[in-house]
Amino acid sequence: MAGVVPPGATMHKEDPKPTKEEKVDYFNLPCPIPYEEIHREAFMSLKPDLFEGLRFDLTRGLNPKFALSHSVYMGPTTIPSQSAETIKIPTAQYEFGANFMDPKLMLVGRVLTDGRLTARLKCDLIENLSLKANAQLTNEPHMSHGIAYFDYKGKDYRAQFQLGNGALFGANYIQSVTQNLSLGGEVFWAGQHRKSGIGYAARYNTDKMVATGQVASTGMVALSYVQKVSEKVSLASDFMYNYMSRDVTASVGYDYILRQCRLRGKIDSNGCTSAFLEERLQMGLNFILSAEIDHKKKDYKFGFGLTVGE
Amino acid sequence: MASRVSLKSKGKASGKALKGSEEEKSIGESFKEWSTWALKKAKVVTHYGFIPLVIIIGMNSEPKPHLAQLLSPV
Repeated sequence: MAGVVPPGATMHKEDPKPTKEEKVDYFNLPCPIPYEEIHREAFMSLKPDLFEGLRFDLTRGLNPKFALSHSVYMGPTTIPSQSAETIKIPTAQYEFGANFMDPKLMLVGRVLTDGRLTARLKCDLIENLSLKANAQLTNEPHMSHGIAYFDYKGKDYRAQFQLGNGALFGANYIQSVTQNLSLGGEVFWAGQHRKSGIGYAARYNTDKMVATGQVASTGMVALSYVQKVSEKVSLASDFMYNYMSRDVTASVGYDYILRQCRLRGKIDSNGCTSAFLEERLQMGLNFILSAEIDHKKKDYKFGFGLTVGE
Repeated sequence: MASRVSLKSKGKASGKALKGSEEEKSIGESFKEWSTWALKKAKVVTHYGFIPLVIIIGMNSEPKPHLAQLLSPV
């Protein structure tokens, strides 16, 4: 970075780099990240889609906007058990999906062989106001749920209102306070479970790093820090503490985004290490390897798969 | 959904007490029943109809793909 000064030459000061000394215009701040994506960088680096078994995904685009996807998964699925042992039962499933992506309307639907439907909808109702909806419908009674989100994007703030089944109401708001810092808060009320909560979040980001913190009245404290070491490498760390149940988890991970592959690895304070590799064999053909080793519970999960299509 | 609707009809619960008659359903009760019925039907319609809806919208978007492309795995 520093200019190489030939030996013997008189030391002369380098031209100072043009410093950004413009006054911060507090009325012209950038629009903040949506509240639910506040941990986005840490989430993408530390929580890849780990799986166990075989996974095969095929996505066929019929149109630039419309695509069909076929997905096969074979492997053990962990079912929650009361004892310390993990119980796994082998399953095999096929999932059919249809995606329609338009700048104004996005529809994604996935249906499994046992009849479970996952549907997502996103559309722009009017300028700055958009509607998003997620639904998971099953054939079993009382196991389906759906949520609708109404987002309003202001000049340097975002507001969102959520409406879900089981009398779930929520609202959140995030505001850019300075060029790099944004603060937000949320409230929610769940009628069916008779629970309500309030939370606050803060996010500080520069070109090289992102630091976020979130506190909620449900007892959760989550802090994360991501440093972009170079164009290809970023390091992330995450700390989650629940002061009601006295549960604490800290994890540190790396994310290498190289030309032909993306490698993410992390290690946890629960004695769990995991790695996820996506290798681009050819245009449109990706090979995936996933490994998760939990030393404490002695649970070893390895998965491999192939993704065809964009 | 039933509990959400019950919040809305809380205000009408007092009206229900006033009416007193046991034969006719009050507005609050019939509204609750009707909206539960509507939500159940909407759930079934969405469950069976969402993916066909996406496919219909996709097949009608420009440039129109052929029906053969929908079914063949190539």
